[in-house]
Amino acid sequence: MNVKSLVKRNYKKQPEIDFPDYKSSIFRAPKNKKISIPSNLEIFGPIFKKKIISKLDNDLTLNFSKNQMSPLGHKIIIHGTVSDQFSNPIKGALIEIWQANAAGKYLHQEDKNPAPIDPNFSGCGRSLTSSDGSYEFLTIQPGPYPYPNRGIEWRPMHIHFSIFGESFGQRLITQMYFEGDPLINLCPMVNSIADEKAKKSLVGKLDTSRSNIQNILAYKFDIVLRGVKQTYFENRQEGL
Amino acid sequence: MKNSNKILDETPFQTAGPFLHIGCMPNKIKINNLYKNDLGEVPFKNKNGIEMITVEGSVFDGNGIALDDVMLETWQCDENGQFFEDNGFARFIPNKLTKQFKLFTVKPGQVENLDGKNQCPHICLLISSRGLNMTLNTRIYFEGDDLINDPILSMIKNNKGNIDSLVAKKIKKNIYVFNVFLQGNKETVFFDI
Repeated sequence: MNVKSLVKRNYKKQPEIDFPDYKSSIFRAPKNKKISIPSNLEIFGPIFKKKIISKLDNDLTLNFSKNQMSPLGHKIIIHGTVSDQFSNPIKGALIEIWQANAAGKYLHQEDKNPAPIDPNFSGCGRSLTSSDGSYEFLTIQPGPYPYPNRGIEWRPMHIHFSIFGESFGQRLITQMYFEGDPLINLCPMVNSIADEKAKKSLVGKLDTSRSNIQNILAYKFDIVLRGVKQTYFENRQEGL
Repeated sequence: MKNSNKILDETPFQTAGPFLHIGCMPNKIKINNLYKNDLGEVPFKNKNGIEMITVEGSVFDGNGIALDDVMLETWQCDENGQFFEDNGFARFIPNKLTKQFKLFTVKPGQVENLDGKNQCPHICLLISSRGLNMTLNTRIYFEGDDLINDPILSMIKNNKGNIDSLVAKKIKKNIYVFNVFLQGNKETVFFDI
């Protein structure tokens, strides 16, 4: 019989969970080794339908603006594709993003950074990928901001991404950084990833061809979710 | 399938941070003009007349503090072992005052294991928050089910995993308590799936 399973996760390309340089991890990161179990329900769904998405959900420059007022800061396009580890584009993947405004302030009561709120910017957006796995957001360049860690440190400019592919086991939450930002290499959250290539894959690349066409700076950020493979099984062992 | 010889690396995780509500549940923090509903407010639509259960609990850090800035996401089948589209998915956070989360859902039916044997009813659970560089995977099983003969729980037990940490305790009819311990001697079993 053919059985679907997820490609085994390569933890060498992932952040260290227990990484004290990122102070918040000290009392939250589990200490025991993860136990490997076969995927089952995690192979399927949830699948989100187009009807949940409204026209402006991926336009953060307009989806919270009052009286057609633009948020402050310069507009940027973030675009790319969502594929699996076998380079198959994933259609209908749900991408949710959140970010600080141009001044480095989140529209959130727990954000203690004394920077101004922008009344025309929520920092919230979402989109479903097209049939070729592509997605696009129009937004504002988020500012860097200080936060308490080992003393005050600075987060590089970033956008949070939450992605649902075709299966629960592909679920990914990550952050996209911006090419050329000197704060990236100083960030303990980034540095919790030991592998340099993996680290670099989180940096959105300036896309000059696209920027020139639309007169808006564009960044390209491609996302890879775990692959789902088909395996043929014979004579299964008892209890496996 | 393109480039079938080359398997790409999965994009690395980063923490969801403390402000995940903006993107994942804006209505919960009074960003009300964007989405009609937050995603996963209820796990199933149209379950009128079906007996529902409540799973409630807290997520504790290594200091024994119940956290209120974590996000929980669940995925399950319905009472007949069925799921479709986003039916079966829920997303919720602990209450700011009580630090407790509450999942109001149907008790899932059995699902088949790879070998055709049934797995005990369970709910897949993901936990994301500030301080977690990766989202954590675990499962909620239910006290009173035939847990001793479950193939996955046996596997976990053979790996010296604390299976008690995966079992929601029944405190009243249809009410279960499931606490998550991120660290300490009661640390919950988390999975590499």
